[in-house]
Amino acid sequence: MVSILNTIDTGHEDMIHDAEVDYYGLRLATCSSDNSIKIYDIKNGAHMLLEDLKGHFGPVWQIAWGHPKFGNLLASCSYDRKVIIWKEQQGKWSKYYEYANHDSSVNSVQFAPPAYGLILACGSSDGCISVLTYQSETNTWEAKKIQNAHAIGCNAISWSPSITPEPAFDNHQPQTLTKRLVSGGCDNLVKIWREDGDRWVEESKLEVHSDWVRDVAWAPSIGLSRHIIASCSQDRRVIIWTSEDCQTWNSSVMHTFDDVVWNVSWSLNGNILAVSGGDNKVTLWKQNLEGNWQCISDVVKGQGQISGDQRAL
Amino acid sequence: MGTFSVIQEGPVNALALNRDNTQVAIGGRNVFKVYSIEEDKFKEIYNLRSSKHLNLSFSCNDISWSLIDDNYLATAATNGHVCVWNLTKMGKAMQEQDYQEHKRTVNKVNFHSSEPNRLISGSQDGTMKYFDIRGKTSVATFVSNTESVRDVQFSPHMPHMFAAVSENGSVQLWDVRRPDKCQQQFTAHSGPVFACDWHPEMTWLATASRDKTIKVWDLTSKPTLEYTIHTIASIGHVKWRPQRKYHIASCALVVDCSINIWDVRRPFIPFAAFNEHKDVATGVAWRGDPQVFLSTSRDCTLLQHAFRDASRPASKANPQGMSLNNTGEVLYACRVPANTNLSKMSGLIRKYSTSTMNNSSDQFHLASSVMHHFQTTLSQEPKCFYSLALNYVLSGRSLTEMCEHNATVAKEHGKSYIATVWRIVKTMYGEEYIQNSFNSHGCKNNEDTVSHTNIPAGNLALASLDHSTDNERQSRGGDTPAAQCSGGDDETETEDQVDHGLLYNNGFTSYSNFRLGLPRGDFYFGDNELDIELDGLNTVADFKSSFRNSQQLGEQQDWTLPNEAFNIRHEIQNHSPPPEQFPNQNSPDINDDAPIAVEDSAAQGVLTVSNIPERCVWDPSSIVISALKYHAMLGDVQTAACMLLVMGDQRRLLTGLDEATQEHWLLGYIELLGRYRLWNIAAQVIKLSWLPNVTQLNQQSTRINTNCGKCSKPLQRAGWLCDRCHTSEYALCSVCHQVVKGLYAWCQGCSHGGHLAHMMKWMSLNKTCPTGCGHSCEYS
Repeated sequence: MVSILNTIDTGHEDMIHDAEVDYYGLRLATCSSDNSIKIYDIKNGAHMLLEDLKGHFGPVWQIAWGHPKFGNLLASCSYDRKVIIWKEQQGKWSKYYEYANHDSSVNSVQFAPPAYGLILACGSSDGCISVLTYQSETNTWEAKKIQNAHAIGCNAISWSPSITPEPAFDNHQPQTLTKRLVSGGCDNLVKIWREDGDRWVEESKLEVHSDWVRDVAWAPSIGLSRHIIASCSQDRRVIIWTSEDCQTWNSSVMHTFDDVVWNVSWSLNGNILAVSGGDNKVTLWKQNLEGNWQCISDVVKGQGQISGDQRAL
Repeated sequence: MGTFSVIQEGPVNALALNRDNTQVAIGGRNVFKVYSIEEDKFKEIYNLRSSKHLNLSFSCNDISWSLIDDNYLATAATNGHVCVWNLTKMGKAMQEQDYQEHKRTVNKVNFHSSEPNRLISGSQDGTMKYFDIRGKTSVATFVSNTESVRDVQFSPHMPHMFAAVSENGSVQLWDVRRPDKCQQQFTAHSGPVFACDWHPEMTWLATASRDKTIKVWDLTSKPTLEYTIHTIASIGHVKWRPQRKYHIASCALVVDCSINIWDVRRPFIPFAAFNEHKDVATGVAWRGDPQVFLSTSRDCTLLQHAFRDASRPASKANPQGMSLNNTGEVLYACRVPANTNLSKMSGLIRKYSTSTMNNSSDQFHLASSVMHHFQTTLSQEPKCFYSLALNYVLSGRSLTEMCEHNATVAKEHGKSYIATVWRIVKTMYGEEYIQNSFNSHGCKNNEDTVSHTNIPAGNLALASLDHSTDNERQSRGGDTPAAQCSGGDDETETEDQVDHGLLYNNGFTSYSNFRLGLPRGDFYFGDNELDIELDGLNTVADFKSSFRNSQQLGEQQDWTLPNEAFNIRHEIQNHSPPPEQFPNQNSPDINDDAPIAVEDSAAQGVLTVSNIPERCVWDPSSIVISALKYHAMLGDVQTAACMLLVMGDQRRLLTGLDEATQEHWLLGYIELLGRYRLWNIAAQVIKLSWLPNVTQLNQQSTRINTNCGKCSKPLQRAGWLCDRCHTSEYALCSVCHQVVKGLYAWCQGCSHGGHLAHMMKWMSLNKTCPTGCGHSCEYS
């Protein structure tokens, strides 16, 4: 079922916190506690270091690739409270924009679906979510902030897909796309945010997790007729939230794992969910015909269990 | 000992603990107090600013408490004075010494740790003064030759040595006996150095700078840089943690209000952080115990911190990263467990020390990740998508041909069920059907066998209503009243003696195979295979039994196929054979509860065809739609989108499928094609699209930049005049030699052109370029 292709020596001097493959699957970016972001060429199974981006003054928590229609963009967020958008021009990466208006570590960055324009959302430990919108006329970034989105801090954000599968479709009127975000935080909540005019309002507050929510992922809507969100938490559970209209959300516990669940991410089609947890294991899940989620494969790192509670002195 | 605090009148700049760590002196611009530290609170003992004779000497930049004589405090005053205070005296007499020797503000004072009465000061004026507090003047002056000295600290290891750090980034080591020149000097940082601290055991000096680094220098002989810690802000203070060789506390000068404890071996993320302060911390003092320290802050508080209340940024950090490739591969980075093969790890970790203890905090610095690249069975799907996208034919041939081609392609990729859907679409909407609606393909998929029930109803309805089939029905009905089998392409071909029971069995077998995901074999039964001649009664009986079977099957399995199979009914309509035959046709919808009854009535209908006057044309579109939707829901938007495209105008018949969904599928497919860089296919999809929101994609992001033909610089204002070389010679019409100010039509082969009208006229008469360049231009 699962075979290991290779092990990549990233050369990072500390832990890696995120790895993202670009839109075309040609390049891999990793970010690490060692303050750096590295970009590799992974065409044809090889992995060649292309770039080592240094600009953060703290561990880099998460990275996000932009849609190629806006050029080659990579956003990163760090413990140093900054968000940096990097741009590749003539094969050289450089800082394109820096956003430093958070009061604490920035934990999550995500580019909006391209149909909304060039927009980046950032979630921070200061509890706020920032939405940065590029204004092409003025070549500036406009920032909107959702204050107190999550008490103690926001750990993860994800955009709803731009193509809304809602049947309400009035003739050929240009559709006004409703932008939505989902966020998860240290208050154990998952929240849905909707852009309403020039503000972002809290649309739903989903309360099931009993510990910090570590990751949220809104499924790509390709082909799907409803909204699906996966969230994972330190309470060791992955919860699947579904909704027809974004108003009422139904939750079901997909699985309770043996350890903290750190990441959830959807396949391109939105039909397979990859989950990785504290036991250093990746599992792939698929909904069977009865609507239950089944584990379809295990990816075990196979180097033994993670050890050492760092909380000890 | 817990965390507690006391609020002051103003910001606090510094603190100092007495010898046995029971009392703390704090000082600031408006604060100068001594507290005793109790179990859970601070208790004020002295307020030295209660004096009536307040002056600037009472405003402190720094405080030092003599470690020899518990009654002596020294302060560095903002007005350049160095003051010595005797706590045993009262009132004005408390200020025992007031050295007014520095020309500018004094940044630091430091009592010697073993020699009584010895005090050093460092000032903004660039000098350091050495005092014996019994005397009225300084003993020695050290000139740093820098603009200002930010910190001075006696070495705990060499009694005569002290270190001084300056705003120019340098560190100086002085011998108190040699004021004439410094013993050692080196540049430690690229920006001002704000603080330094000697390691209590090692000959290490930590320096903190505005360049956002803390550096640890080994000064045993030649200064060597041992560790560099990267922080998020300028560092104002550092203090080694007692009894923890590698731990050091730091406070930032700006931005970061927390006090961070670092393991110098892990230079990027703090081992622990204390976030109680609301403004930046100005000083840290350990109470001799590695678990407790005091701090002062610009937020006017004095705080005692207990280590157990610390937050651990590293433990909150996500230790893994995961990404699903669009080729179905999984990239996964996770932490290397600290207790695995250490020898293997030593290569990965800088400054790896072999003498590690078996406790987890000592493994804190052993942080590294490995990155794995996995291939999963999912990897087949994207390849299949890619290949299908390339090989599907979406236009240019007849619907039937395209469907057949695509079905073959799908089957070659092991997607028999998709192939089946293609064939159904072919059958339902193919030209053959339209041309000879009566002889249309009998869609003989194995699903047929599974789905019996609706046929009777369908036939029933058809029998009297479908005018397009009326003629045929009549003729056929007349010809073969009871024995005709309508299953095949060739309705007249009724000789096949296939046992229908066997057929059912086969059908179910293959159906279940299919459901089990063993797509070997083609389930498409040749038309003839399914043409069965049956007599009505048997048919009914068989139908019933098989219906039950199929129900059982159906309960275990999903309804995809039934749905698809449902389509077949349409065909049947066209055939409009006598009702008795319907059972043979194995019509689709099994899950319908009504069917048996209907069948009975169908059987009756056979007898009295003319008695059923109601017209209700069965429309296959809803079934096709649900089939498409089903595939889309499985994440296979490719099938849905391609079928819509291939159907062309026949799409109109899918009235139940709203445009939003169609658009959603097409855009989804285009998006996916983009991911795989199949631009040509995507462009083809856009071109073939019938939805304005999709077709307009073609009109986006096509831009032609024009440059001047002479200087090659972009044309800014107009296409016919270069601002740079003020010429229009490259905008002349090849025919009339006038400047073209409107549309300029040019040949992409030889790049000559001119007024659109002129070029059209020219080309209607000539075949070559009007300039005479000899190129055979083509204007379309």
